[in-house]
Amino acid sequence: MTRLKRLKGIGILTGVLVLLLAIGLLAAGCGESDSKNGTTSEEGKSSGVSGKVTCSGSTTVLPIAEEAASMFMDENPDAEVEVQGGGSSTGISQVKEGVVDIGNASRDLKDEEDDGSIVDHKIALDIICIAVNPGVGVDNLTRDQVKGIFTGAITNWSEVGGADGQITVVIRDAASGTREIFDEKALEISDDNPVELTGSAMETNSNGIMRETVASTPNSIGYISFGYLDDTIKAVNYEGVTPTIETAKDGSYPLSRYLHMFTNGEPEGAVKGFIEFVMSDEFQNDVVGEDYIPITKL
Amino acid sequence: MRAKRADRIATVVFWIIGLVSISILLFITGVILWNGLGKAIQPSFIFGRPKGFKAGGGIWPMIVSSFYITGLALFVIMPISILSAIYLAEYAKDGRFTRFVKFCVDSLASMPSIVFGLFGMTVFVILFGWGYSLIAGSLTVALLNLPTVMRSAEESLRSVPVTYREASLSLGASRWKTIRKVVLPSATPGILTGTMLTVGRILGESAALVYTAGLVSRHVPDSLFDSAAPLAGYIWYVQTEAGAPDYRAIVDGSAALLLVMVLVINFGARRIGNYYQKRTLAGEKRV
Amino acid sequence: MKRIKRAINNFQRKEVGIKIILVTSASLSILAVFMIIAYIFRESLPAIRTVGFKGLFSFNWKPEPANPPAGSYGMLVPIIGTISATFWAILFGAPLAIGTAVYIDQMAPMAIRSVINRGIEILAGIPSVIIGWFGLTMLVPALRNVTATNGFGIMAAGVVLAVMSLPTITSISVDALRALPPELEEASLAMGATRWQTVSRALLPAARRGVLIAVILGIGRAVGETMAVQMVVGNANQVAWPWELFKPTSTLTSRIISDIGESTGVFRSVVYTEGLVLLIFAMVLILAIRMVSRERKR
Repeated sequence: MTRLKRLKGIGILTGVLVLLLAIGLLAAGCGESDSKNGTTSEEGKSSGVSGKVTCSGSTTVLPIAEEAASMFMDENPDAEVEVQGGGSSTGISQVKEGVVDIGNASRDLKDEEDDGSIVDHKIALDIICIAVNPGVGVDNLTRDQVKGIFTGAITNWSEVGGADGQITVVIRDAASGTREIFDEKALEISDDNPVELTGSAMETNSNGIMRETVASTPNSIGYISFGYLDDTIKAVNYEGVTPTIETAKDGSYPLSRYLHMFTNGEPEGAVKGFIEFVMSDEFQNDVVGEDYIPITKL
Repeated sequence: MRAKRADRIATVVFWIIGLVSISILLFITGVILWNGLGKAIQPSFIFGRPKGFKAGGGIWPMIVSSFYITGLALFVIMPISILSAIYLAEYAKDGRFTRFVKFCVDSLASMPSIVFGLFGMTVFVILFGWGYSLIAGSLTVALLNLPTVMRSAEESLRSVPVTYREASLSLGASRWKTIRKVVLPSATPGILTGTMLTVGRILGESAALVYTAGLVSRHVPDSLFDSAAPLAGYIWYVQTEAGAPDYRAIVDGSAALLLVMVLVINFGARRIGNYYQKRTLAGEKRV
Repeated sequence: MKRIKRAINNFQRKEVGIKIILVTSASLSILAVFMIIAYIFRESLPAIRTVGFKGLFSFNWKPEPANPPAGSYGMLVPIIGTISATFWAILFGAPLAIGTAVYIDQMAPMAIRSVINRGIEILAGIPSVIIGWFGLTMLVPALRNVTATNGFGIMAAGVVLAVMSLPTITSISVDALRALPPELEEASLAMGATRWQTVSRALLPAARRGVLIAVILGIGRAVGETMAVQMVVGNANQVAWPWELFKPTSTLTSRIISDIGESTGVFRSVVYTEGLVLLIFAMVLILAIRMVSRERKR
């Protein structure tokens, strides 16, 4: 009998122990998160930049940011730059929360996102191209045709002058800045004009998989950053204008937008060094200039 | 006569079904290996670092991360699952507590891995502030695989004949000593097989890991708090990012390599199980 | 005498200490289950509160990553997608798997019996990303060629899931058949029944509960599978009922993995709510298994 009682005691004791352990873990975890926030160090300015820079956000900015990161780390061996995707909205919200140092975005800051502390660094002008599978025999689409296709009013290529074929619409995820700009400028969706996209549109999470999906799916159409354009997909003219750096610069091709790097407050230390590097003439001309319009040329 | 014909037809049908099943699995294995093995054996690919949007990236940090995560997860799983299994198999009586523990183990085993991923992300990554890290990923898959290891360990312990225990206890050994010196050693092969199968499962796990351990590692993780993207998750990431011009080759190669690793480990696990099983059977016959 | 008493005391104390450790380890599983449920639920609360059950269980899906509360977050499309894909996975997978189990247990020649069984067990370890990649690069193009669609959708997801649940269902069914008393088979055969009659009238009925459990576990695997499904299901925002085989749609898991990295606020909470729905699915299945196996005991 006493033995049995003792066993019961053990059970209760164990329960308490487990609970304590859990609470301890939780408490330890909370402490940890506070102490880990300061990721950038501001020392060692004389011998290059050192410290860690983290960025996340737009997949349109991703190739630029990655290239900049690897060149920057070559020049400053003590610095470490981590770049991740996630979409423009993610980048903006994470830089506001302090999760990352730099939020990359391929659209402007929205009013409801602007809390006054965000600093905008425009790094380039990008063009959104309407891209189709190379097998599609259509070379030009008007504004209304594009609207019709993406809202589901037009479902067959024969309706816009192509061969018979069911159109597969490919769009980007909701957090994408490219989608935001495309919806706003090409489809003219706004709060006052809420247009439903076609339900059959397939969502893709990055410019890369958008390119891949359009390239491998017959009769498909999507939209993509100019920097991702290659010969696996075909960019069509929009309202008769070919998307090129020139037409975007003079404004005749309307689907263009700035690419941004946002910081929470004025950047310091390694973050400042990194952004200065991205803005440098050398990087802007040699890297950004290949696929985008350098901010230095505007 | 009709019964005989039905029997013959059924035999043919089941033959076809059996062969279809095995050929589906072999076909997938074959296609993956055929497409990717050429890439997977290139040293520059295995030992290289990922290059983001440039061609020619390698997967070494991801391979190492996979093994780090597996090792760390086992380090957490093994003591807990073996101790729990000992409790369930040797000590526990069929009471309310025992039944509740078993229910919880079953529930844990039935939860989808993506739910573990969500949990790991909330608790380890955000709440504890560890970020995408080796430790967050390891703890997440440890939770995910705890029930299977626990169950296989419990089964192995239960399959040890009662006579072994009785003999040891009658010689005056304590209960714990009996378990440690007699029961556990006899159950080791079973536990080992279960563990090896778990290694295979952890290596192939992606849904629970991409948002706890990280999507991509540019260098081999050098601390517990470094991001440690495992190979399986990286395959998904490369596929969904599709950035590098040779991304298809990277996915093909990684998939082939991962498949080889997993199949070798699973095959090894079965071999170990077989080997010990034969040996114990032979031993028993001699007695 | 005293020494003996002390020795016995020490002995008992050690056993009690060990017991505490053992009970603690066993309790960790309880802790884990409750922590997971508690945290997933806690993270879902903002969505349940702001979006409400009516909003969550609707077809209206229009997330606003930049201003989460303004979006609408109906989960019915992915819930129905999950059900449709699982339906086909089991319809394709279960007969094949149960047939394979019968083949392994009854028909296969002794020499290859264990080879096939082991083969299935070893192949059960093919990681899901790899099956997904196979589905994306082989299955979807194949379906595209056979039908006039783009190949993504319920059919592709169903086949991929069938392949993934095949080994699970097979090996548990084999276990169920093996667990039958050998007399059953011997008696049936001795009475002059053919092998098919033995299988169909004696063995399968006797093992039906074990086979049912195998199928339920297969359903669990299909419902929770993530990466492979996300790659082939098309990720579109439209309802696809089980009979709409070639309509791209989403499942709960595909939505979660697509959105988790790029959502904030209520949108993020909705992702957790989708996880909560998955948890409820899993719990229902566990209870179903309990009911089936409890019946067996009677």
